[in-house]
Amino acid sequence: MTRPFILSASIAEATFAVPEIAAPILRAAEAAGLDLLVMGRSGMRPFDAQVLLAWAAPMTSRLGLVATVPASNAHPFHVARALSAIDFLSAGRTGWSVIPEGAEDGMAEDMVGAARALWDGWGSDTLILDKASGRYLDAAKVHASNYEGPFFKVAGPVNAMRPPLGHPLLVVDGDDPIAISDADLALIGEDGAAPAATKRLLKVSPEADVASLVARFEAAEIDGLHFTLTDAAAQLPEIGARFASLVKDRANGAGDLRRRLGLPIPQTASNQPGGAVIPENA
Amino acid sequence: MMEKQIHLWAFLQGIGFFPSGWMHERARPEGVFSMDYYARVAKLAEQGCFDAIVFGDQLQSRGAGGRTPERMAMPTLDPVSLLTAMAAVTDHVGLVATVSTSYNTPEMLAERFGAMERISGGRAGWNIVTTAHPATAPNFGEDDLPPKDERYRRAKEVVAKACELWAAMDREGPMLPQGRPVLVQAGQSPDGRDFAARTAEAIFCPAANIEAGIDFRNDLRSRVADVGRNPDGVRIMPGLSCVLGGSEEEARATHAAILDLADDALAIEYLSESLGCDLTAFDPLGMIPVETILDQTILPRADIARAITPAQEKGTPLGAFAANFMRHPRGHNVFLGTPEQMADMMIEWRDAGACDGFTLQPSYMPGGLEDFVEQVVPILQKRGRLRTEYPGTTLRETLGLSAREAVTA
Repeated sequence: MTRPFILSASIAEATFAVPEIAAPILRAAEAAGLDLLVMGRSGMRPFDAQVLLAWAAPMTSRLGLVATVPASNAHPFHVARALSAIDFLSAGRTGWSVIPEGAEDGMAEDMVGAARALWDGWGSDTLILDKASGRYLDAAKVHASNYEGPFFKVAGPVNAMRPPLGHPLLVVDGDDPIAISDADLALIGEDGAAPAATKRLLKVSPEADVASLVARFEAAEIDGLHFTLTDAAAQLPEIGARFASLVKDRANGAGDLRRRLGLPIPQTASNQPGGAVIPENA
Repeated sequence: MMEKQIHLWAFLQGIGFFPSGWMHERARPEGVFSMDYYARVAKLAEQGCFDAIVFGDQLQSRGAGGRTPERMAMPTLDPVSLLTAMAAVTDHVGLVATVSTSYNTPEMLAERFGAMERISGGRAGWNIVTTAHPATAPNFGEDDLPPKDERYRRAKEVVAKACELWAAMDREGPMLPQGRPVLVQAGQSPDGRDFAARTAEAIFCPAANIEAGIDFRNDLRSRVADVGRNPDGVRIMPGLSCVLGGSEEEARATHAAILDLADDALAIEYLSESLGCDLTAFDPLGMIPVETILDQTILPRADIARAITPAQEKGTPLGAFAANFMRHPRGHNVFLGTPEQMADMMIEWRDAGACDGFTLQPSYMPGGLEDFVEQVVPILQKRGRLRTEYPGTTLRETLGLSAREAVTA
């Protein structure tokens, strides 16, 4: 598989919580060929990224949906469940980005550890769904996580299911870093911190020079680009016009984001490599 | 004068009301993991002019005694996410999510429901629960649930604080279409009923028969009046499951066939979950192991003793007791008969003051909802008891409530 050029953008415009404004932005994001839309933190309330992405799931078909999750004022049990649900609703297009935002040191990392433990409490092939035998699931594949970190203690198993991606893509932002060494994607600046991650997306403006960025991608210095949107309705068409050619040959347009972007679950992050498999013809 | 209108809610958590519902030939157990399924059932509810779709929720880990049941369907995906996704594919139907006041901060609740309210265009409802299952606590780093009176005290504070936060969001704009989500409650105890009377705009309850419905509704309406609220501003929506047939005999046969899908092993797993004690190792033909149950249950012992003692005294074997227990899940009315008979029954309840409408709990999904929408809804509409189109776009308008009612603290 050729190495995919990844296009990502983040949005934190408060008006995104209004459906008449959000719907055309989602259409524009897909039209621009974006692989990921990171729902950021808006100063305006309410702006619950998980809720907005649940709404976005049926409005989109290929866009990766990444929720920014504040480590403070959230609980891993709730976060793990919500992201599992959104990953099913989007057929494997979910990600998350945990940010410290007012939390004590270590809380964001603890959130990541606890949610991963909850997702790993369910095996990929737990579900049987066999009407004839009456077996719904295989209890041997379900484990209490009994996670105990410095902030969160969560017994589990979580009453959700392993997400189709196994773990939603974990995105870390170099400008708001957390101490996780096995994230899937890092958003990096020219001079800022460059957290360890499977792939690195360079933060650029929509006016950035395309040819030089392609050269850096071919030199494997970066794996793609990230745009911080300030006026999504105006910027997305511009991004599409300038950058969509980089992603136009992408195979398997819809579905499993890990396979599409070449991002297997990091071995350090999970006790199993795949996501939940739902038996067909139950 | 217009005849009394029947409000309809659809309780769609899971794959049906009966524990064996997921095995029915018209159930889709794989569906509850796909958006296609949620889009289909949300549109069905809207086609049937339902006020709202309701999802229950639990925060405990399934599995009495640490053993995860293998034969019970367990698709407890996060209800706020499922309902918000359903908002994106519908225009009118309300969306009521169950969320606990004991395991969320007011800020978390206000943020979640505020976003749901705004992105759904004013169709959000919050079924306020305090969480009663002891196995929830370890998922949130605690050994035990807070005592009941403390949970209700906290619930009152959390709701009041969340309402303040919504008012602030509303002032800052853009306006929340309903000001805040519709507040819904389902408590049965005196504490729960008082809390509902002060807070709720709609109440979900079990009522096994018309007399129970009348008693409950009268009691709630007088409690509502006692705290200075208008009883006509509160919708009482008892649960209702059904199995329909071309004749009463056919409906009874279909009901029996659904129950027959459950073997002893499923019945005992269901009983184990309900009693909070793992009974799967016991012989279905043997006696009910009362001492083990009372020794190991994590639920209140007195309640459990009341439930099992009569059967023990009669010498009922464990398997037979479990099978019978499963015939009446959660104390709701189960109607068996023709669509015409069902419409008659619903109108009779409504006219007798036993309810303002019903919370339909299809016996299996999505087939049970399809049958109701295709067969019963048109009869209710023809008789002038159910709307044929929505009056507006917000849940409050659909419920026939005033645009914005303040909480009586």
